[in-house]
Amino acid sequence: MNFASKFDVFWELFIEQGGWKRVISVGLVNTLLIAVLGLLIGIVLGTLIGAVKVMPKYKLLPKILDKICTVYVGFFRGTPIVVQLLIGYYVLWPLLGITISPLNTSIIIFGLNSAAYVSEIMRGGILSIDPGQMEAGRALGLSYSTTMIKIVIPQAIKNILPTLGNEFIALIKDTSVVSFVAATDLYKTFTEIGNVRYEYFMPYLAMAVMYMVLVFIISCGIKAMERSLRKSDKN
Amino acid sequence: MIKIKNLCKSFGDNQVLSNITETINQGDKVVVIGPSGSGKSTFLRCLNCMEDPTSGSIIFDGEDLADLRVDINKHRQNIGMVFQQFNLFNNKTVMENITLAPVHLKKMTPAEAKERGIELLQRVGLEDKADVYPSTLSGGQKQRVAIVRALAMNPKVMLFDEPTSALDPEMVGEVLDVMKQLANEGMTMVVVTHEMGFAREVGNRIFFMDEGQITEQGTPEEVFGNPQSPRLKDFLSKVIV
Repeated sequence: MNFASKFDVFWELFIEQGGWKRVISVGLVNTLLIAVLGLLIGIVLGTLIGAVKVMPKYKLLPKILDKICTVYVGFFRGTPIVVQLLIGYYVLWPLLGITISPLNTSIIIFGLNSAAYVSEIMRGGILSIDPGQMEAGRALGLSYSTTMIKIVIPQAIKNILPTLGNEFIALIKDTSVVSFVAATDLYKTFTEIGNVRYEYFMPYLAMAVMYMVLVFIISCGIKAMERSLRKSDKN
Repeated sequence: MIKIKNLCKSFGDNQVLSNITETINQGDKVVVIGPSGSGKSTFLRCLNCMEDPTSGSIIFDGEDLADLRVDINKHRQNIGMVFQQFNLFNNKTVMENITLAPVHLKKMTPAEAKERGIELLQRVGLEDKADVYPSTLSGGQKQRVAIVRALAMNPKVMLFDEPTSALDPEMVGEVLDVMKQLANEGMTMVVVTHEMGFAREVGNRIFFMDEGQITEQGTPEEVFGNPQSPRLKDFLSKVIV
């Protein structure tokens, strides 16, 4: 193997011909877009599912909702994300008669997928809050849902922020499969550079470094956040 | 004010309250005493349906709170409750703790609620703590804020569930003082406590509970001065030094 020539080829394509611009402006941006928007959808939907899971179940409606959520979580945790992407893009959208771009499909499916995981994190977070908080709200005449939204969930979210950070890291790494439905992410843009000369050694090495740096930066962010949260606990 | 009829409460097979019938009148200061496990706290928690009674009725404002069709949230606005563990909202400042419910339930405008909050905090000597979070307060301060939070709703009756049991001995006094002040203003109160001094001084009626029933009741003079049942005599000999 001639490392020098592999490096020269990569240098020429990536730096001199400006291949990096597409990697950053399309690949990195899309990867982050899918992960960030996916996590946001996941948090909103996952919070709802988590809240349903901890609802007292005397009445019919919570029971039905609980069953639906169990099936939902079962599906999204029981199948690979690639399968979910393919089912969404090639089965569900045609069945519904709608057209959704590969990028938007990825965002939606990653959101739905992460909701299943976030719901379990959120359920644990809600259960970690002293039941006295709910009791105090109810004793004042506030409804279950008001107390949940204003008192319990804000405290639960604060407790689970570090775990949500880990979910975000997992999401970023998982996005590397969105090219299955022809979305353009980091993996795809690096592959395109490799395709020019059928020389993949350096592009994929650079890709690995890029993912690692990305995750490293986010990990530092999470640690800083944890520190500041601990500080605010003391005051 | 509160009419309790044939109140029963079971947790599974374990019957905690059996067939309690009692009336609490306007202005009463009822103090509930008794050994642990006798059902004192459960009795109190049934009064605002924090525990749903298994059978029987709780008549308050002309409606039966034990009936599941009754809007319990509406009635709870008129029944203040203070907990052993304070249960202040950790994610809200002291002032937000106090104003959250009155404002959200449209009993007051934010400005009115704040004014009322300041006034009540002044009464318990904590006006300088309005903007801090509960985690910075001592136990006694937390409980005084919890009392203020309940009072901010202008309740018709206040329930106290062992309000001083989780406090350091030095802080018990400051909470009891607030409760005495409240009693002197004529608030209807039901208090579960182990503070016999308080029971004697503030209560106008003492309920002695044993094995899920109110086995003896009367004025403090009757209950403490002339106990009838052996169980009550035994209990008093242990708690009064």
